[in-house]
Amino acid sequence: MLNINHITKTYRKGGKSFTALDDVTFKAEKGDYIAIVGPSGSGKSTLLHTIGGLIHPESGQILYKDRDIYSLNSHGADLYRRENVGFVFQQFHLVPYLSVYENIKLVCIQPACTQHIESYLEKCSITPLRNKYPAELSVGEKQRIAFIRAIITKPDILLADEPTGNLDPLNSSIIMSLIADFHKEGGTVLLVSHDQGTAKYAGRYITLQGGKLV
Amino acid sequence: MHSFRLVVKELLYRKVNSLVILLTVIAASMVSVAMITLSKASENETRKIMREQGLNLYIFPKGTNLIDFYSVNNTSTFPEKYVDTLAGSKTFDAVRHLTGILQLKYPEWTDPNGSLHQIVVVGYKDEVMQRFLPKQETMGFDVARGTVHVGALLAKNIPEGETFKITGQDGVLHEFIIAKRLEEGKGMIDQGVAFYLGDLQLLLGMEGRINKIEALGCVCHDGRIKNARNQVDAIFPDLEVTEISNIADARENQRLMMNKYGSFIIPFVILTSLLISGLMFYANVSARRNEIGLMKAIGKSNLYISSMILLKAFILGLLGSIAGFFAGMLVAGYFGKEIFKFTASDIQPLWNIFGYGIIIFPVLWMLSSWIPALLATQVDAAQILSQE
Repeated sequence: MLNINHITKTYRKGGKSFTALDDVTFKAEKGDYIAIVGPSGSGKSTLLHTIGGLIHPESGQILYKDRDIYSLNSHGADLYRRENVGFVFQQFHLVPYLSVYENIKLVCIQPACTQHIESYLEKCSITPLRNKYPAELSVGEKQRIAFIRAIITKPDILLADEPTGNLDPLNSSIIMSLIADFHKEGGTVLLVSHDQGTAKYAGRYITLQGGKLV
Repeated sequence: MHSFRLVVKELLYRKVNSLVILLTVIAASMVSVAMITLSKASENETRKIMREQGLNLYIFPKGTNLIDFYSVNNTSTFPEKYVDTLAGSKTFDAVRHLTGILQLKYPEWTDPNGSLHQIVVVGYKDEVMQRFLPKQETMGFDVARGTVHVGALLAKNIPEGETFKITGQDGVLHEFIIAKRLEEGKGMIDQGVAFYLGDLQLLLGMEGRINKIEALGCVCHDGRIKNARNQVDAIFPDLEVTEISNIADARENQRLMMNKYGSFIIPFVILTSLLISGLMFYANVSARRNEIGLMKAIGKSNLYISSMILLKAFILGLLGSIAGFFAGMLVAGYFGKEIFKFTASDIQPLWNIFGYGIIIFPVLWMLSSWIPALLATQVDAAQILSQE
């Protein structure tokens, strides 16, 4: 479903260059749960954002269902992210002036998507928070809402970038079990983590070091 | 989620930013409306003052000696219908407010006490509307048939409630209702009487004749008088045009003064407001980088992202233009009363300005947010979203 072919990404700043990804190649099939691990600065987040269509690589291809996502026009790339990819970040990136319900609804285009919000809120035990604003929530609650927002459109791929990085052990385990549920329902998960405890949920590991797969 | 609702919620969330932008629109709209309203009031005031002072162009039979005109009764007359011919001409546009006049010395008028006086009698034809020019408020001396306006010096000799009596060319004593006793300081008419033209013509046996047309010269690029002279000459070569330049200059100077202030102040205030507003939109986009990055990650298009900024500008532009209009009217009303003696009570809302304002200001403020909106589409979502 997802072919990452010889991806290279180099950042240049002040005359110096830094290779974040160096000829990275791997495949992810539907239903895979892949943990991308490695030390800080090894290129994990860059790889995840490249797969998510947010960072254009210098060379290589990201083939989703045999189509290079970087050959798509702007509208096609937006559609790819909107319909096929869900993001969960270390920082939750909730919109501060929208309620919990509205933050989730933000990604919904179809009415059917909106109808599922209540059931997800219940599943994540945050129904009473429905009308609260991000400033009124704990970090664990914020991440659960960010998770619902990522999967409410039922994407094929969930890209999780250190989703438990700011959470205590209890909230970490809640989030990880929600991601596991998404995987059990047939979703593909690519999880970036430097925490071995979190990565243990994955069925497969990819280790990056200095931008290379090792 | 509907983008309008999203924009309104953001607008209410970042109150200070929204308020400052709103104030810039209000300031620009208020100053524009106040200046335009005061300019219009100034024109009206000028018109009223000019009415008091008289019109600035005199059209006489060619060769008229002006010294004779004011002192003896041997000036030439010409047909009253000349006024209608001029008013009906498509090419005659350098002159407005055409008023046909018959003005003569009446050598022996007997006042109610039996004393003899030499007085000025002036007959005013109703001001003729020029068919091919936009309609304007009349400026002429509005004397109704059967009535007279009596000059201040004469009025002293006529008791209140009395009629004005004068012997006609036919030897019969004619009687007129005194509709107005004029204030002192009106010039020659202080020692005269203003009649309805038809009444005076009948009184003097000069039916259908006048000896002067008073009018108002336009502000023309190639000179007021030159244009008027050429146009009159083309239609009636037997007439000539004389300008009362102090009145014309006063009118033109007042108009130019208001235009000069308006043409400087309005663009200055609008441009300054737009600049401040543009900076506030830039600050707004900077404060919303996380949110914009998220929008990109969830597949919102660049058009959607830029429209969030542009729609905010439109809403604030619209609200500001409406509030600014009413604030501008209040300012114009307040200062107008101080500045304009004659027309203070006539300062009314200019609703066509309101119409233009609710279109122009939202568009201008959308333009001021254009660059910040473009910058919003350039936000690097990956960099923002991967921050720890």
